[in-house]
Amino acid sequence: MVDDSGQLYTIEGIAAAILMIFTAYLAVNTAVVYTPQDVHIIDMQLEQLGNDALVVLDTPPSESEKSPLQDYIERDKPEWFGNNFTRLMNATTSGNPDKIKYTATVYYRDIADPTNVRTHPFTNSTTSSRYYRENAVNVSRLVYVNDNPYDAIVDDQVVLLEVMVWRD
Amino acid sequence: MAGLNDDAQWIVMLGFIISILILFLALIVNQSALVGQTTAESVLEFPKTSIQDTRNELMTLKDSGLLKSSLIDDIEFLSMVRRGAVVSVNTSATYIHYNDGVTTYNETIGGG
Repeated sequence: MVDDSGQLYTIEGIAAAILMIFTAYLAVNTAVVYTPQDVHIIDMQLEQLGNDALVVLDTPPSESEKSPLQDYIERDKPEWFGNNFTRLMNATTSGNPDKIKYTATVYYRDIADPTNVRTHPFTNSTTSSRYYRENAVNVSRLVYVNDNPYDAIVDDQVVLLEVMVWRD
Repeated sequence: MAGLNDDAQWIVMLGFIISILILFLALIVNQSALVGQTTAESVLEFPKTSIQDTRNELMTLKDSGLLKSSLIDDIEFLSMVRRGAVVSVNTSATYIHYNDGVTTYNETIGGG
């Protein structure tokens, strides 16, 4: 009943099995399964990128100097912020630059009424965009300003720069 | 057993084994998408950058001698209103407390 007449077929079967398993393994490893929930991964990367860009802008070039971000807010120059922020956000190592849009707002405490938060849009028409409910992430940074341009009552204050970032 | 050909039993069996293996691989791929999602969600939820930012701002102000109670009030207020986090700092910024409902962070800085 049991003999060794089919040895070659057996070896061929095993070889074919190994080949097929290996091919299937390669195939499932190469293809990225993209499900709608995976936008969280994109969000996470975008949030990290946005925060990194804000950290770069909030780092003074040398000690006892103001950070660029502080300078932009004190002098109320959203276009300077926009140029540098979009340059950092859209930089790629090769090929076309990325297409990341943003809109920014400065939040600060109302000194006359300390329980009230006041807002000031930190946008300009050439670099920032209007937000129409795209899938955006929110990044923010506390910035010390020595001269609040929106509130004449107070000299130095900590304001919060909030930037909404999304990929077009 | 007349007429029943059992020559290719090995190949048929391997076919079964392979199909079961592919099924398991599909299950693993299915799970990996879920793992990526939950990992990304927990990274998004964890307020790493908020804590770093709060710390950085306080330390910079302290080191440059600009720290005063109105600035601490600003930080605590803006954290509450815009980040939904309770931040509590003592006047010399040697103690920092951060709580956003999910993550709590406490720090006491010595030598202050």
